[in-house]
Amino acid sequence: MSNDIAVNMKNITVRFVETLANDDISLSIKKGEIFAIVGENGAGKTTLMNVLAGQIQPTLGSVEILGSTVTTFSPTAAIKAGIGMVHQHFMLIDSFTVAQNIVLGHEPKKPAKFGIFFDNKAAVRFTEDLIREYGLEVPPNARVRDLGVGLQQRVEILKALALGSKVLILDEPTAVLTPSETDELFKIIRKLKEKGHTIIIITHKLYEVMEISDRVAVLRAGKLAGIEETKNLSESKLASMMVGHELSFESIPRDETVKTPVLDIKNLTVSNARGLIAINDLNLTINSGEIVGIAGVEGNGQSELAQAITGLRPALKGSIYLNGIEITKQSPEKIRKLGLAHIPEDRIKTGLSKQASIWENLLVGKQRRREFAWLKLHLRRDKISKYSKEVYNQFDVRGAGIHIPVGSLSGGNMQKIVVGREFSFENTRAYVISQPTRGLDIAAMQFIHKQIINKRNEGAAILLISADLDEIFMLSDRICTLFEGKITAEFDPKTASKEKVGLAMLTHSKEEVCENS
Amino acid sequence: MREFLNELFTKRYKYDFSYILSLSISILLALILGAVIMLILGYNPIEGYGALIKGAFGSPRGIGDTLAKTVTLAMTGLAMAVAAKAGMFNVGGEGQLFLGAMAAAIVGAELTGVSPIIAIPLCLLAAMAAGGAYASIPAVLKVRLGVNEVITTIMMNSIAIYLCVYLSNGPLKTTERGIASGTQAIDPEFKFTRLITSSTLTQSIFIAAVIALVVWYFMSKTAQGYEQRLTGQNYEFSRYSGFKTNRIAIISMIISGAICGLVGMFEVFGIHGRFIESISKEFYFDGMLVAMIMRYNPIGIVVISIFFAALKMGSTAMEMKVGISSELILVVQSIIIFFMAAENGISRILKEKAAIRKAKREYLAAKAGNV
Ligand SMILES: Nc1ncnc2c1ncn2[C@@H]1O[C@H](COP(=O)(O)OP(=O)(O)OP(=O)(O)O)[C@@H](O)[C@H]1O
Ligand SMILES: [Mg+2]
Repeated sequence: MSNDIAVNMKNITVRFVETLANDDISLSIKKGEIFAIVGENGAGKTTLMNVLAGQIQPTLGSVEILGSTVTTFSPTAAIKAGIGMVHQHFMLIDSFTVAQNIVLGHEPKKPAKFGIFFDNKAAVRFTEDLIREYGLEVPPNARVRDLGVGLQQRVEILKALALGSKVLILDEPTAVLTPSETDELFKIIRKLKEKGHTIIIITHKLYEVMEISDRVAVLRAGKLAGIEETKNLSESKLASMMVGHELSFESIPRDETVKTPVLDIKNLTVSNARGLIAINDLNLTINSGEIVGIAGVEGNGQSELAQAITGLRPALKGSIYLNGIEITKQSPEKIRKLGLAHIPEDRIKTGLSKQASIWENLLVGKQRRREFAWLKLHLRRDKISKYSKEVYNQFDVRGAGIHIPVGSLSGGNMQKIVVGREFSFENTRAYVISQPTRGLDIAAMQFIHKQIINKRNEGAAILLISADLDEIFMLSDRICTLFEGKITAEFDPKTASKEKVGLAMLTHSKEEVCENS
Repeated sequence: MREFLNELFTKRYKYDFSYILSLSISILLALILGAVIMLILGYNPIEGYGALIKGAFGSPRGIGDTLAKTVTLAMTGLAMAVAAKAGMFNVGGEGQLFLGAMAAAIVGAELTGVSPIIAIPLCLLAAMAAGGAYASIPAVLKVRLGVNEVITTIMMNSIAIYLCVYLSNGPLKTTERGIASGTQAIDPEFKFTRLITSSTLTQSIFIAAVIALVVWYFMSKTAQGYEQRLTGQNYEFSRYSGFKTNRIAIISMIISGAICGLVGMFEVFGIHGRFIESISKEFYFDGMLVAMIMRYNPIGIVVISIFFAALKMGSTAMEMKVGISSELILVVQSIIIFFMAAENGISRILKEKAAIRKAKREYLAAKAGNV
């Protein structure tokens, strides 16, 4: 074995009860390489990386890390061998500070007091050294819950580095980031590469692959479909390797519709979970057949705005109307009945029950309908199955049928369940849609974009909140920037530039934007 | 039907299979450890377990007593499960049971002379209403004021038990001579017939069977059961989905309390013929354990109840015939629970068990304070 190989996986096969998630995958990754892994939702990317990180024992196959063969598959063994993984869903403790999170598992103890008490000063010192060494700026004493996702991600990376990892796995790190945060992350990745670290990155955004990686592996339905040097590839070549055929990027036609106000928000003020003002005297009207995109850096009130409209969070002041009916103080149940559907930003905490099966998750909201429940009581499983299978197939969910728990689907496929369900209500007048394509592959993303525009063409009023500026530009009829709980500027996506919108996301008022531009 | 078979053989139950496997292994290990302890103490384990099995199933009376115990365990276990599945942790079943027993005893005594066909259903309703109404209080407190139901149900155990003990020693004390405490006897016509001579098994097993079926059906086949299940799994999701979360919390507690009340009635109408202070020997706490071991699965609760009932009933015979202390079976039981706790995620069970211990302490204190 030559010693410039960081990771060598041979014939890796992972079989879950119903699915062959990885099918005889062999690949080796060089030291100091930035290696990208791409593939459709459910292709087996996360599973393969979980094998490397010791989270999953492969059914067949062997793994060598930095020259030594892995004998036991456990997270501890993987960490010892030099693997660090930042998961698709973060694993930090919200109520701990950054330093406390970073030293978790190897906490410094006060030597003077028998070495049993936590030494916070030493933890902070340790963290500061780490920050200096890698140039990753984070406030060591801030609580994790007070940080934005971008910073939380840095903490995750530092945590892995603190454990001495030489090979860093990042599972869809950019899905939650704004473009500028992504740039920052890429700078960090390049710096780590210079220091001799090996980086494995999973992403669905192909331009990111082109920008950052040295080599790419493409997975398709559990199999390795190819490994290529990035410089020999193009985005469209990569895309066709992923899906097995050429992808067409047709633009979706937009009908001109009669515009009447559907969702009307007046002087809305909402506080966040800690009682601080998150939405401050906000006014916004969304018409039928219109998509209004909210652009903003995460944590400027997006979550609270969506929750207030859908009845999940009380408004402190102001009022919200749906088709002229005030919904400000209504229950989520009533608001749904009045014709509002909601795709929440956090699919796992809010949008799904992981333990429940796929059909149970798809039935939600229709369980008392006569077609599905005899006398509103006895569930008619045949009818429910038929409906569930329809949605399942229409949204091309890749999994082992409608009876398995949603939690065993891949991240992107879980998202399809949420979107499929929310788009299956017949009389919806308005949609609040947050991060609809987070974690979706390009084909699935295109499909969902088409669905959103179809709903618009059918006359629905749509509030679209997304961290992905491209998505906002592609879908919106109007773009509003949200900063510190206020709408600071409004743009027409046909004429505005991304730079201008990006700037407005960071400043207080329109004047400032104008001055700066 | 095809759907059902399909589901049974292919998909869903594969996930439960591993659980049943680890449960079987824990039971086996626990029994082996029990045997080792017997050996250390100088007994023959084959003799010991032989006497246990014979005690539990070796005679009509043994079978009867085991089934009677099964009824109590399974009913209280199901009561716990109905609420827990909806995310409500009902620790107050013991108090609901006492009130159910008291209500049934009062109505049963009042209706003396009335035809049993009318009187018994009325007593049934009274017991369920008392238990259910009492259980609804902590649920309402939770949804209105956000008070944790674990704490309120524990406290309300003491209140109900004190109240019933007071009533049966004071205002409602029987006028019969030679009876130290207890309410007026119910009409002997109302008493459930014993199904096997000299065993405690009565007609209540039929009512219990119907209730178990209804509970199973309700939990797994109805829209309401579905809503409760999803609410228990992820409350935030339930709210987002537009479920009536408040109503779900209250209904699940009412059903849970009603079943507990019914168990109280079984004791009055099956055995004692009146309310007495020692109407329940911590029945509900045993039921809670059974429910937790089976992860609130109704079918599993009924099956495992038979096993635990046999252990309990057989252990007495074992002590008498072979001389092995029946406490040994408590050890075996604890080992099973310990293993299953590990399977379930130790931290969660520990939390729940701490709640039970606290409830038990309160319960004992309530009783001790009243001798
Ligand atoms: N714990 C599990 N139990 C059963 N099946 C699983 C489990 N984890 C993953 N799978 C299945 O294995 C397959 C691969 O999943 P994986 O999470 O690796 O996909 P992925 O490529 O990371 O997709 P995504 O881009 O959506 O995150 C999927 O079909 C998924 O349903
Ligand atoms: Mg994944």
